[in-house]
Amino acid sequence: MDALVAQHLLNWLVLGSIYTLVALGFSLLFGVLDVIHFSHGDVSMAAPFVALAVIQAVTVTLVPDGGTATLILAILAATLVVGLFGVLVDWLVIRRFRAAPAMMALVATVALGTVVRELIRTLYPQGSNPKPFPALTTEVLRLGEVAVPVFSLIVIFVSVATVAALFWLLNRTPVGLRIRAVAEDRAVARLMAIRPDRIFAITFFIASAIGAVGAVFFASHAGVVRFDFGVQLGLIGFSAAVIGGLGSMQGAILGSLLIAGVDTTVQMTIPDGASYRLVFIFALVILVLVLKPSGVLGKPVFEKV
Amino acid sequence: MLEMERVNTSYGTVPMLREVSLRVGEGEMVCLLGPNGAGKSTTFNAICGLLRAESGQVRIAGRDVRDCGTEALASLGVGFVPEGRRLFPTLTVRENLRLAFDAARAPALEFAAQIEKMAQLFPRIRERLDQRSGTMSGGEQAMVALARALIGEPRLVVMDEPSLGLSPKLIDEYFQIVARIRDQGKAVLLIEQNAETALSIAERGYLLVRGRIALQGASADLLRDDTIRHMYL
Ligand SMILES: Nc1ncnc2c1ncn2[C@@H]1O[C@H](COP(=O)(O)OP(=O)(O)O)[C@@H](O)[C@H]1O
Ligand SMILES: [Mg+2]
Repeated sequence: MDALVAQHLLNWLVLGSIYTLVALGFSLLFGVLDVIHFSHGDVSMAAPFVALAVIQAVTVTLVPDGGTATLILAILAATLVVGLFGVLVDWLVIRRFRAAPAMMALVATVALGTVVRELIRTLYPQGSNPKPFPALTTEVLRLGEVAVPVFSLIVIFVSVATVAALFWLLNRTPVGLRIRAVAEDRAVARLMAIRPDRIFAITFFIASAIGAVGAVFFASHAGVVRFDFGVQLGLIGFSAAVIGGLGSMQGAILGSLLIAGVDTTVQMTIPDGASYRLVFIFALVILVLVLKPSGVLGKPVFEKV
Repeated sequence: MLEMERVNTSYGTVPMLREVSLRVGEGEMVCLLGPNGAGKSTTFNAICGLLRAESGQVRIAGRDVRDCGTEALASLGVGFVPEGRRLFPTLTVRENLRLAFDAARAPALEFAAQIEKMAQLFPRIRERLDQRSGTMSGGEQAMVALARALIGEPRLVVMDEPSLGLSPKLIDEYFQIVARIRDQGKAVLLIEQNAETALSIAERGYLLVRGRIALQGASADLLRDDTIRHMYL
């Protein structure tokens, strides 16, 4: 295989994996709670900052040069914290709009996204500036002419494992059965002794924790993180979920791979493509929405509105 | 088993139920009749606590529904067949039944044995256990909805127009099964528009008209009543 094509495929899979981890949350939250949680990208992007703070705390108090072990610990802690942050978001904000028209929750979460970003900016020391984010690993495997960063393999592997775990949880476990029941019919779920608010909290934890992993990979991939990176990641993740079909997990994956495909292709084939990538990505989003408003794999959810 | 006492509800500012009282005794089968829009499903929702009563009280097995909450009713021994069946359509038949079984929290029961029991009551369910319930025919869905209400061995079953949309032949079959449930000593509240069928298997009945109980009595008396004859027969 042509080395350049192989590199291209690898980039595509890495970006596709990162976008998938964010898009899944949008789709899951929409499917279960019927809300578009527009601040999902910003909530997720809190994770790299939590990770940085943990690294800081560990290196100052325990080991001066924690290395990879510290980074992994920091990422796990950030995943947990952001998962709980998602639960808090639901409890503080989203819960108020359970019975309200979808538009109200949407507007509230758009506002919430700004609040989250500004909180990161003010709470984190010199929060307006980009922060270098440590690489998980800089090792590179050489397969013939193709250079394969180990980081890429980790991103792809963790994403595939996360997706598999999510599917297993939803389709094979008692709590997954309850999540699906609440997604379909909250009122009848209550007759089956299921408390929807608990299911919503669990769903928010899962979605936010998965998004946190995506955001950490995003930061690690870029090498830096800034308080407002969640806007772009959120927009891309949301768009991926929408073109795949909001509410469909398979759709979120497909949409992410589509967008990542356009993303990498533009960056590779068009001179100075990196500057235009968002134009092409969102042109694709518009195109899909014109051709199939419910998304590629979606049920026609928007027709009743 | 079920007591509703002077319950009032409104949708926004529009009053719906007015001073509705009804009771279903242990092992008794009672029907609630009424034309479209009379407030029958509103009554169902008030009974299961999905709709809050403004005043009045609903007690099931001696417990105030407002205090114990909708989620506790299954474990108090109540099975529900909501209007339009409301199965979880993308869940399989087995999953639908599993949720209801777990909700009953009856440690003495075993899921496999209960499934077997339901399959004997509704032979058509047996081969369909792993089919998504939304892909089944209306008649099959009606049977699954009833099995879902029964799988936890409830002492009271509340059904809201369970036979709606079934063919006349299936309606007969359906009510034979409902009669069997009655004969097992379960209390049943059957909400129906089809007065003749309902009164033929229930011991007593209530007639709901525009949110009020307009008439109540033994089935035989109601069958002879002019209002009911005029409205239905
Ligand atoms: N959620 C609701 N909001 C406002 N009005 C409602 C609602 N549900 C039912 N209604 C109205 O209340 C009346 C009684 O409805 P319902 O209890 O469903 O009647 P039935 O089951 O006897 O046909 C109807 O006029 C209906 O339009
Ligand atoms: Mg009704």
